Amino acid sequence: MNAPDRKLKLTPAAKKSGRGVGARLPFVDGVEKVTGTARYTADLTANGALVGKILRSPYAHAELLEVDISEALKLPGVRAIVTGADCDVPYGVIPIAQNEFPLARGRIRYVGEPIAAVAAVDEVTANLALSRIRLRVRELPAYFNAVDARAADAVLLHENKPGNIERAVHNEFGDTAAGFAVADLVREENYDCAEVHHAMMEPNAALATYEPERGHLTLWSVTQVPYYVHLTLAQCLKMEAAHIRVIKPFVGGGFGHRVEPLNFEVIVALLARAARGTVRLLMTREEAFLTHRGRPETQIRIKLGLKRDGRMTACQAEVVQRGGAYGGYGLVTILYSGALLNGLYELPAVKYDGYRVYSNTPPCGAMRGHGTVNIRFAFESLLDTMAAELGLDSIEIRRRNLLRAPTETINGLKVMSYGLGDCLDWVERASGWKERKGKFGQTGSTGKGLGMACSHFVSGSAKPVHFTGQPHATIALRLDFDGGVTILTGAADIGQGSSTIITQIVTEVLGVDYRRLRLIANDSALTPKDNGSYSSRVTFMVGNAAADAAQNLKKLLVAAAARRLKVTEAEVEWHGEGAAVAADPDRHIPFEDIAEEALVGVGMLTVNGTFTCPVEFQGGKQRGGAVGSTMGFSYAAQAVEVSVDLDLGKITIDKVWCAIDCGFAINPMSVEGQVQGAIWMGMGQAMSEETVYENGRHKAANFMDYGVPTIIDSPEIEVHIVESMDPNGPFGAKEASEGPLSGFMSALAAAVEEATGHRFRMLPITPEKIFAVRQEQIAAAVANEVSK
Amino acid sequence: MNSLPEFNYLRPATAADAVRMHAANPASHYIAGGTDLMPNIRRGLVTIGAAIDLGAITELADIVEQADTLRIGSGVTLARIAAHPAVQARLPAIAQGALSVAGPTHRAGATLGGNLCLDTRCNYYNQSEAWRAGNNYCMKRDGEGCRVAKKSKRCYAAFCGDVAPALIALGAEVEILGAEGVRRQTLPELYRDDGMKWLTLASGELLLAVRVPLDDAWVSAYEKVRMRGAIDFPLAGVAVALRREKGVLTGLRIACTGVASQPLAIDGLDAVLGKPLDDASLALISEQADLANRSMKTTLVDVLYRRGVSLVLAKRLTQRLWDAAA
Repeated sequence: MNAPDRKLKLTPAAKKSGRGVGARLPFVDGVEKVTGTARYTADLTANGALVGKILRSPYAHAELLEVDISEALKLPGVRAIVTGADCDVPYGVIPIAQNEFPLARGRIRYVGEPIAAVAAVDEVTANLALSRIRLRVRELPAYFNAVDARAADAVLLHENKPGNIERAVHNEFGDTAAGFAVADLVREENYDCAEVHHAMMEPNAALATYEPERGHLTLWSVTQVPYYVHLTLAQCLKMEAAHIRVIKPFVGGGFGHRVEPLNFEVIVALLARAARGTVRLLMTREEAFLTHRGRPETQIRIKLGLKRDGRMTACQAEVVQRGGAYGGYGLVTILYSGALLNGLYELPAVKYDGYRVYSNTPPCGAMRGHGTVNIRFAFESLLDTMAAELGLDSIEIRRRNLLRAPTETINGLKVMSYGLGDCLDWVERASGWKERKGKFGQTGSTGKGLGMACSHFVSGSAKPVHFTGQPHATIALRLDFDGGVTILTGAADIGQGSSTIITQIVTEVLGVDYRRLRLIANDSALTPKDNGSYSSRVTFMVGNAAADAAQNLKKLLVAAAARRLKVTEAEVEWHGEGAAVAADPDRHIPFEDIAEEALVGVGMLTVNGTFTCPVEFQGGKQRGGAVGSTMGFSYAAQAVEVSVDLDLGKITIDKVWCAIDCGFAINPMSVEGQVQGAIWMGMGQAMSEETVYENGRHKAANFMDYGVPTIIDSPEIEVHIVESMDPNGPFGAKEASEGPLSGFMSALAAAVEEATGHRFRMLPITPEKIFAVRQEQIAAAVANEVSK
Repeated sequence: MNSLPEFNYLRPATAADAVRMHAANPASHYIAGGTDLMPNIRRGLVTIGAAIDLGAITELADIVEQADTLRIGSGVTLARIAAHPAVQARLPAIAQGALSVAGPTHRAGATLGGNLCLDTRCNYYNQSEAWRAGNNYCMKRDGEGCRVAKKSKRCYAAFCGDVAPALIALGAEVEILGAEGVRRQTLPELYRDDGMKWLTLASGELLLAVRVPLDDAWVSAYEKVRMRGAIDFPLAGVAVALRREKGVLTGLRIACTGVASQPLAIDGLDAVLGKPLDDASLALISEQADLANRSMKTTLVDVLYRRGVSLVLAKRLTQRLWDAAA
C-alpha cells in the first residue's frame, strides 16, 4: 500500500493487541479469499440440485399475449416451468414504487426481461426446454433514450406514469434568482454521462431449497440486502417470512447491483417450490448486464453563479436520467442528485429539477456513489471552467467555499465533521500543484496535464427504506461455556470488509484477544436483521451497534468478575483477557473464569447492541427530504495527472493523489483499499466504460466489449487519510468507499483539458473522442494558416 | 456462457496422426491452447464433433534457430515466443505481437498456430446464442445477411490476430501438413479477405510451423491500438519491418491487423525506397495504408478512429525504426 505512514491515534486495545480500532489489518476473511477456500454461492454443494435457466425477452417492448410452455413440459427431465402466471405480486426495493414482476406479466419492457424459467435435470435439457417455449406478442414502439420516451405521443411503459416520467423532482432552497442576480459571473453548461454498470467480479447465482413437507424455503444468494430479499420472497411467494431462511455466502462485490431484491432470487425460489426440491441458478455475465441496476445515462444542464472572489451565490440544475424499464431505486437516485448538490460547499441557493424517465432498457438502480456521481462531474467541471474565467486556481476557489462544521445545509442536511480543507491542503502539496499546474507544455505528440476535484458521500441514509420502528442496526454477541465470543451480524460483507471492521470494534471495546472472536454473518435463522450494505451505512451504523453490544457484554462480564473476585464492580480493573482487583493487581482471574461466572444461573449469554439515527438527522421536511440525510459525510479531494498521446487519443493516468476525510480510519489499510477501488471504478466510467444498446439490445454485455480497466491501466494511487473525528461515528469513523469516486471524472477532464486544450463535457472520454477533437483542432489550425 | 457440450476428445502423438484423425472425423476441430476456441464453443459459435488436442505432439512445440531461418512450431505458446532470446533480439515485432495478446494466463496456453488461425471477430457474431437469436443471427453462422453492411453478400468479420502482421512484415512462410504431405507457402497466402472463410487451409490441413528469415539488416516493430492495456483484441495493429543502408531506405514492409478479414500487407510502397525517409514518404505510406484499410463497423469503436490510428501507427513505427537504424 502506498499511503504514507501516519501516526495512528492508537487506542489502548489497538496498542496492546494490534487488533483494535486504528490498526492496519488484513481482512478477517482474507485468507479464505486468497487461498480459494472461500465458498461463493456457485461453489456451494448442491447435490441433486436441478439446473435453473431463464428465458429472456428478445423484444424491447411488447404486449405478452401468450407464453406456451406445453411443448417444453413434455421434455423428459423437465421438472418445473414457471411464468408470470406463477407470481402476480409486484416487487421493488422502494415500498411505494413496486412495479416489477419477477417474470413478465402482460407486458415486456426490455430485451432480457425474464419471461419464463425452467428447472431440469441438466443444462442441456433446460436449454432445450427454453427453446420450446413459444411466445405470442404484439410489439410496441420502444424508447431507448429519455427524449424519445418523453415525446408527447410515446406509448406509456407504465399506465400510471404520464409522459413516462417515473418521478419528477422540483425544489428550491434559498433564493436562486437573487443569488444569480448578485453573482459577478454566471455560466450554464450541458454535461452528458453514459450509462455504466457495476461489473462486480462474481456473476449472479442463487440456490434455493424448498421442503414441501414443512413448506420451508431456504435461499442462498449473492445479495447485499438479505433482509429485503427475505421480505420480497415472503411477498412474492405469499409465504410467511417465518418459513423462509435467507443465507448470504461469500459475495464477490456488489457496488449496488445487489442492493435491491433481484428477479432471479424470486425466480429460483418459485422454481424450487414448483419442483419441490433444490434448484441452482447460475447466470452468465451477459445476464448480469441485463439485470443491470447501474448508473443511468444522464443529461445535465447546470448553471452556477460566482462572485469575483470565487464564492458561490447560486446553483441551478436540471437532471434527466434514463432509468430503464422499472422503478427499482430510481426515485432515490433522482432525489440524491439534487440533494447532494449540497453538503460539499457553502452554497446559499439551489434550484433543482430532476426527471427520472422510463425507457425500454434494463432497469437502472444504485451504483457506488448513488445519484451523486454524474451531477458532481457536471458541478466540478463547471466550477473549474468558471474559476479559469475568473483567473482563480482550482484549489483556491474550492477553499473559498468551504463549510464550517457543525452546520446544516439549506436543504436540512447536517454536517457534523468536515475535513475537506485538510484534504485540499494535502492534495495541493502532494501533487506539486502550485509548482506544476499549467506548466507542463507539450512534448512531441504527448500532452500532459493535472486536474483536481472534490466530492462527498453519506455514511448511510439516516432514514431507512422500510420504516419498522426497529433500530437501524443490531448486533448480537454470544458467549457460552467455551469462552468464545461469537459476533452475530446481518451486515453483508460483500468484499468491502465490514466483518473486519465489526471484529476490530468488538476487540477494541472488550479488549480481548482478536482470536477469541468469531463472526457469523447473514443467516436469517441465526443473525439479527440488518438493512443491508448500501449507501455506506455499515461502518457507521453497524459499527456503532457493535460498540454498543460490546459495551453491554462488557458490563455483564465486569459484574461477573466482581462476583468472582468478591469486590464491587467499581473495584474491578478490566484487562480484556482477564480482570483484577484495581487496588490489588495480584488478585487476577482469566477470561475463562469470568465467562464461567457470567453463565452461572443464566446459561448462554446473548447480548444485543443497537444503533438508531435520531430523527433530527433524517433530513428536511420537503417531499423526498430523507434522501441524502445522514449523520456524517465523507469528504475527498483528489488530483489526477495524465499524459495524452495526442495522435492516438490515448490517455495514460500517471498518478492519482487522493485525500479522504473518513472521520477516523478504523482500519487504515481497508480505507486505502476502498479509496483506491473507488478511484479505479471512477476511472472506468471516466475513460472506457459504457453500456451500448442497439434497438434495445445490449451490444457490450461482456467483459471484452465493456471496458473495465485492467491492472495495467491502473495508476499509482496515493491515499492520504484525514481524520476529522466525527462526533457520532464509531470512534469518529465515517464513510470511505463511495465519496472518492465522484471526483475522479472532473479531475480527469481538467487534466485532459490541460493536455489537449479541450474540455470534455461527456463521459466516457474515450480515445476516439479525443482523436476526433484532435482532427478538428488540426483542421482548424490549417484553416487558420490558410486564412492568414 | 454455457457449459461445454459433450464431444469426443482425441490426443494424437504425431502430426500425421492428427491429420488422419481429422480425415476420419470431418466435424472435428484441432485444439491447442483453446483460449479462443473454448469460449466460442461455449457461446455456441462452434459446433464440435471431436476435439483433436495437439498438445502431445512434440514436433509442433520446438523453436529451432538455423543459420538464416527461425522455425517456430505452431504449438509453441505465445509466452515462449515472447520470451525467446532470438525472437526478442532479432525479430522484435514477433515478440511484441505475441506479448500484446490478451493477458499472461492466455499467453501461457495460447499457441502460435491458434493465433494465426484465430476466428474472425464481429460485434454481431461474438455474442451469446440468445443474443444472436434475438437479432436473427447473421451469415457467419446460423443466419443470412450481414449486420454490418446490410446489402453485403460477404461477411466483414475482422481478423484480429496480433502475430500474423509481424510475421508477414518479416517475410515468413508457413509449413502445412495435409493428406498429400507437407507444403510451404507465404503467410499472406494462408488468408483471404472473407470473414467466413478467412483461411485457405483445406479441411483437415494442419499448420506445422512458421519459418522466418533471420536477416539482421531488417529491424522491426509491432504496435496495436486497443481500449485497454491488456485483454483487448486490436482495434488496429501495425507491424513494420524496415532496412536502412547507408542512409537510404532499401526495404520496407508494413502489415496490418484488425482492419480487414485477413491480415493485410500494404502494397505500393516501392516509391519510398532508394532514398532517405522523408515527409513525402510518410505521406505515401499513410495513403497506401489508408487505401488498403477495409475497417468496417465490426467493433463498438468507430471505424474512422480505427482507420485513423492505423495510419498513425504505420507512420510512427516507420519513423521510429528509421531513426533507430541510423
